[in-house]
Parts: sequence; C-alpha cells; structure tokens
Amino acid sequence: MELSFDRLTKHYGHKIAVDCVSATLTPGVYGLLGANGAGKTTLMRMLCAILEPTSGEVFFNGEEVTGMGAAYRNVLGYLPQDFGYYPNYTAAEFLSYIATLKGIPRDMAQRRIRDLLNTVGLLGAAKKKLRTFSGGMKQRVGIAQALLNDPQVLILDEPTAGLDPKERVHLRNLLADYAGDKIVILSTHIVSDVEAIADQVLVMKNGRFILRGTVPELVRRASGKVWELTVPAAKARAWEKRVAVANFRHEGEYVVLRIISDQRPAEQAVPCQATMEDLYLYHFGEEA
Amino acid sequence: MELFRLEHKKLWRKTSVRVSVLLCFAYVVIFGGFLTYQWFEFGSSPDLVSHSFDGYSLIRSQQEQAASYGGVLTDEAFQQMVADYQAADASGDKVKMDIIDWKTMSLYLNQLYPDLKNDSDIRPVYYYVDTEKLTGFYERRLASLDTFLHSQGQTGEEGAMLMAMNDKVEEPFRYEWVRGWQYVLGTSLADLGTIMAVFVAIVLAPTFSGEWHNNTAPLILTTDGGWRRLALEKVLCGLAFAVELFMLMAVGGITAQLVYLGTDGWDMPIQTMKLLAVAPMNMLQAEIYEYAFTLLGVIGFAGVVMLLSALVKSNFLSLLFSLAAVYGPMMVANYLPASLQGVLGMLPLVGDASDIFRTNTFHIFGKYIWSPYLLIIVPVLIGLVCIPFAIIKWSRRQQA
Repeated sequence: MELSFDRLTKHYGHKIAVDCVSATLTPGVYGLLGANGAGKTTLMRMLCAILEPTSGEVFFNGEEVTGMGAAYRNVLGYLPQDFGYYPNYTAAEFLSYIATLKGIPRDMAQRRIRDLLNTVGLLGAAKKKLRTFSGGMKQRVGIAQALLNDPQVLILDEPTAGLDPKERVHLRNLLADYAGDKIVILSTHIVSDVEAIADQVLVMKNGRFILRGTVPELVRRASGKVWELTVPAAKARAWEKRVAVANFRHEGEYVVLRIISDQRPAEQAVPCQATMEDLYLYHFGEEA
Repeated sequence: MELFRLEHKKLWRKTSVRVSVLLCFAYVVIFGGFLTYQWFEFGSSPDLVSHSFDGYSLIRSQQEQAASYGGVLTDEAFQQMVADYQAADASGDKVKMDIIDWKTMSLYLNQLYPDLKNDSDIRPVYYYVDTEKLTGFYERRLASLDTFLHSQGQTGEEGAMLMAMNDKVEEPFRYEWVRGWQYVLGTSLADLGTIMAVFVAIVLAPTFSGEWHNNTAPLILTTDGGWRRLALEKVLCGLAFAVELFMLMAVGGITAQLVYLGTDGWDMPIQTMKLLAVAPMNMLQAEIYEYAFTLLGVIGFAGVVMLLSALVKSNFLSLLFSLAAVYGPMMVANYLPASLQGVLGMLPLVGDASDIFRTNTFHIFGKYIWSPYLLIIVPVLIGLVCIPFAIIKWSRRQQA
C-alpha cells in the first residue's frame, strides 16, 4: 500500500499555502510537524481529496485519488482540524449517521460504534447529546468517526488538541496499535506527540518540507546545537534576547538556560542531548 | 433509507424545529381552530364586540335554524329567513336573532337586491326590507354576475368561458348553515399557507447553510456517499417535513372543524357563500382544493427555501431570503398592475387559495385559463425545479 503525492501545490491568490511538496508514504505513522500556518491543514485536505490542488497530484496505490472517487473515500478516515458535529445528536447517533454516510451496513455499524466508543472511553456517554460534551470528549468522538470504516489511510489534523495529558497518551497508544499495516498521518505542533508515536516525521515550514526522517535521525540533526548555560538569575532575561532559549530552570540564585545555537554561546556553556523539541525550536524559534 | 431516517431524526431533534411546529400548531389548530369555534368567532356576542365561550352550542342552534328552511335556497326560503329575523327583532328575541345567519342574509341582500335599500335608514337592509319583494333570486344573481364580468372587462371568449362554468352550477342551491363554511374556506384555509410559510422557512432555511454553520463539510466530503447522496436525502427530508407539518395542521384543523361544524352543508355549492363565484364546486370540493393548494404550495416553498439555503452560507441570510420570497411579493403586489399581481400569485404560497371564488383568468398562448388551475400547479413546479439547482449549487460550494 502506498500513498504518494507529487509536486503538490496550493495557492490562495498570491499566497502559497503548500509549495511543490512530494513524498511517498507506506504503512506507518507519519507526524506532520509545523507551526500554525505552515500548510499542514491545506496539505491534509488535498490528501483527502476535498481540496483541489493548484497543481500536482495525489496517488493511492498508483491511482490518482480524485479519479478514484468513492473507492478512495472508502479507504480514508479523516478528522478535520475544526471537527464539525451536530449538537442535538447523541454520540451514538452521530457515529451512526457518519457510518451510514460511509456506507457501512447498519448491523456492522452498530457493533463498530460500540467498540469504538469503548476504545475512546465514551461508552458511558453514548446516549448523551454532543452539545453537552467537553472539548476533549468531542475530539474523541471525532477520532471514533474517523476510524469507523477501519480506514487504510487515516488522516488526523491536530487530533490531540483539547485532550488532557491522560487522553493524549491514550490516543497515542490507540494510534500506535491501529497503525500496523495502515498509513496514519497526523499533524500537530505538539512535539511530544510526534516524538512518541511517529515512525517518520515531516517538518513543514512555509508550505514546504524542510526536514523529513525518523525521530532519531532528526534529533541527530540538532545535536551539537543544544547547550546548557548557568547564569545569575538577573542576567537570564538578557540572554533570552540574544539567543534562542528553550527552557529556564531555576537553581537557587542561578538559572540554567537551555540554548539552541549553532555556536557555543559562551565559554561556560556545555553541550547536551538534543530532543525533537529542540529541533522544532531550532527551525521555528522565531515563530514559537 | 437509513440515511433518510437519521437525517429526519436530526431535523426533528432541533429545538428550533420543535418550537416552530408547536407554535404553528398552537396558532393554527388551537387558536385558529378550537378557540375560534368555541370563543373568538362563533361565541355569542350580545354586545357585538366581545364573544362568549359558548360557540359549540350556538353553532348547533344556528345549524338547526338554517336546516329549518328546507335545505334548498328558494325565494320562499330566503323570504322566510329574512322574515324570521325581522320578527325576532320586533319581539326583541336577541337569542333568535343571533342564531339566524344574518351575515349571509346581508351578503345576499346587498349583492342581489341593492334597489331595495333605503338610504334614509341607517340600519342594515334585512331589518326593514319588504320580504314580499325578495323574488327572482337566481335571475338577479345571473344579472349581477353578468354586470360584474362586464365591469371587469371579462367579455367575449373569456366571459363565455366563465359563464359556461357557471352554467354547470346546479340551481336552486342546496342550503344549510353557511357561516361555518365561510370561516373555513374564506379565512382559515385561505391563510394557512401564509402562516405555515414562516415556520417552514425557520425549519428549512438551515438545511444546507446549516452544514457550513456546523462545519461538517470536510466530514461529509470524505464519506462514501459524499455530498450528492446526502443532498438528496436532505431534500427528501425537507419535503417530508413540509408534508408532515401540513398533515399536522390539516388533521388538527379538520378535527376541530368536525367537532364544531360537523359535516352539515358539505354538498352546498360555493355560490351560497360567494354569490358571484362561477366554479361548479361544492363546499367539500372547495375544501379539498384549498388543502391541496396549501400542500402543493408548501412543497413548492420548501424547494425554494432549500435552494436559497444552498446559495448562501449564512443561516440568517437563508432565513431572511426565504421569508422575503413569500412576503416580499405579497407586500409589493398591491402596487403592481393586475397582470403582474397574477404572475406573482403563482409563486409558492404567495397566491390565494380563495381564487376559486373569483373569476380571475390567465391568458396564455391565446387561451383563457381559470386562475386556480395554474395557482395550484405552478408553485409546486417552481419548487421542484429549484431542487436540482439546490443540490448542484451546494455540491459546487462544498467542492471549493
């Protein structure tokens, strides 16, 4: 199974949202990382065939997806960024509605809905109206609907938004279990989510992929660029203005700064182990 | 079918839908039906201003009184009716005066016997007219109709067509209590579509625009059925709702009518309530026409509302345009020439079901067509034509 896109581009007037990106995705979890406005949502909508590219094409198993129509939608699961729902429906009714739209037979749908509500921890709230749900609960309903048709290609736009830490961990485990022989693409700007479950990471900036690789590969790219420097508390703010500071840690009258920099920022600075977050700050420091 | 069921359930789950249906039912059936029969309109009115809560018994008395004239409207029966009223007036029998159908009597006298009116007497003519002179009812009606058609310029082929219709009206007229039918056919049913338009617009205006409001487009577009199947189900659901709302009002209205008015007089010609009507219809046929007119108008209007809903992304604008589609033409119609008024009347729920009592015609391709034929067919056709455009327009917007 293979999902590929070739020189995919989307312009909105003079603004370039996605700029000639290409990739070939095979089963696994792909983390699409980037700041707000990097082009992640636009790219995902094009991959879902709900947004027409200005140029370029998306292929599933070698076949152009817009030409596949319903055949592609049958293998697709999608959670949009701003997940829309019907407030007067209960969770079970909403999923039943989406299942019907997806063409899943009623009996099968009912079993699947029950399983998925159980999986996302909402079985007890199945008969409650969606308008009474918290943001996290709605997001979990959104994830359940994306999984209804057991999709081979699962595209999740900011799936962890609104989830509390426990729910985020639960979702990560769920996706890790689910992935197996499927293609899962999730976008986020929460680095730890990508770090935890993505087999491959695609880092987007200004509509382009600026980095791609596994987490260890990308982290290696940041090695040698992360430093720790202990300075008096009074001077910490001055350092923040001069260099990219990833973290402040107070130790008595001193502050330990975690600095992202190509060069050693000071004689006393010591190199330290890089993380994905450091890499993110290295590339998006000015936007963060 | 499953998607239709779920879409239908989604529609009825909305608070706005439930409140709208409840208000519509309360207005049409409770206030316009039961309370009007029992109180507002048919309750006794000793002071001619307020009404008592005794409509049911008063209607029964009025029906018995009307039946006492033998069931046929002859000169003698009419004379007796007027004489009874004058006798009751002379004896100060207010109860008797209340149960004689003086409104219908007044209509006949003013239209057919204007020469008997005494300008120096300010009382209504039935108080003093010489009943011996109330003769030649049907000859006078025919002459009055002829004069009316000439005054309207309805002569030649058009006049002949209308007179040919009138020739089929059986004389003498069956006669029972008319006032109840006057209310049902002239007021209650004639206004039903105008009232339902508000609630149909409130409920169906968000049909498509509501999906933008709920931001569900990305979900729908990535499903197997996609927009086209859903759009079709939405349209069917909207039409089903229009029919359901109509049925609710119709069943409620007919129930109230049967409880209070019964079925007496169903076979009277409509000419007993509108003397110059030319259609050879009885009250039951007229009622069926008016219900059919409203049902088809509501279906047509539902189609228009759904098209407007597909054209805009805002629920508010969709509602505003939907209401404007009905009430806008109504507001401007009076300022337009009669021919344009006729054209506007063919828009869904803009026209008037009570055109069956009139002699309006349309002149199309050299032929004169009695207006009710077109007024009942064209609105539903307009609505049905709107539906494919609604689906296409919505799908194009969704693909943006």
